[in-house]
Amino acid sequence: MLINLDQLAELVHTPLFGLLLTLASYRFALWVYGRSNSLPIFHPFLVASIPVIIVLPLVNVDYEEYREQTQMISFLLGPATVALAWPLYRQLHTVRSVLKPIIVATLLGAIISAAIAVGLAWWLGAPPEVVGSLAPKSITTPIAVEVVKSTGGYVSLAAGAVAITGIVGALAAGPIFRLLKVSDHRVKGFALGLVAHAIGTARAFEYGEKAGAFAGLALGLCGLVTALALPWLWPWVAQHLG
Amino acid sequence: MIDGLLILLLFQFFGEVIIRLTGIPLPASVVGMVLLLLALLLEAPFTQRVAPAAGGLIKHISLLIFPLGVGIVLQWHRYEEYALALGVAVVLGTILSMIVVTLMLKKLLGGKHREPTSKPAGRGGDHAD
Repeated sequence: MLINLDQLAELVHTPLFGLLLTLASYRFALWVYGRSNSLPIFHPFLVASIPVIIVLPLVNVDYEEYREQTQMISFLLGPATVALAWPLYRQLHTVRSVLKPIIVATLLGAIISAAIAVGLAWWLGAPPEVVGSLAPKSITTPIAVEVVKSTGGYVSLAAGAVAITGIVGALAAGPIFRLLKVSDHRVKGFALGLVAHAIGTARAFEYGEKAGAFAGLALGLCGLVTALALPWLWPWVAQHLG
Repeated sequence: MIDGLLILLLFQFFGEVIIRLTGIPLPASVVGMVLLLLALLLEAPFTQRVAPAAGGLIKHISLLIFPLGVGIVLQWHRYEEYALALGVAVVLGTILSMIVVTLMLKKLLGGKHREPTSKPAGRGGDHAD
């Protein structure tokens, strides 16, 4: 009898357990998100994390082991990043007429949001690995977790920072647009996609199709620009942060 | 679905090949994304079939990400010391970026508002987030 129980307990150390826990948590989070009418604060990223964070310590599985169990899921981040070419391609068509200012805006915007995050964290005394984890915080997560490897940051911190950035950006957008008297839906959408990536894009669709398309475009372009520039620029930036 | 997955893996593989050949410091998947975008823009055969797989993966991107994000709590001892810097940089930094970027966009896009904006209505449909 005792032996059987031991064998049962061993189950928590199999990938099956990690995958089941992950998928069940996500399913639960989708349900909560739907019930909340897609409030950013109930974003599946946050809600799905809660059961995992509670269960893992209870069954004595540490984070490294859980990461190994769920490797199959993490692997899909690669194809998911490649997949971003599709919405980018679709949205390039819809905004062809303002392509030039959009490219300028993307370049400037990507630099601004990365510089503000890096500057603040550095100024408050965070070490280089932490600062490096924040550099890609305004870009969509699959790209961010890839890029963070080139800045010597922590993947988990980058993933968390990206998610919280998205949520804060989506929540702050309404008041900021009112304060700055923005009526142009293209500006609203583009700002949301640029600063708050996928979560901001979902928020932008509440302003309408046009805002959503601009947000999606900003998300794709900003991620692309940051991914292409940061690995080259980072050694130089890191040197100056000392 | 299978066609789409095949295309995605193939372009990721191309990205990997290019990175290994050239040694450029970019993520293979990002190079794959650029290559796929080019292929789509050049209307390469079959590439449109990527749609279902791409849409599915992007729709459930949170599922792929949050197992990484839980590390922020489970490894909190690593970040504890810098909680203030992190909180300020992420929350305040985001609000600040949002304000600066919005002001910049008003300048950049605002001027062009009257001229060529009469576009045909956007093709609705599969906007993934």
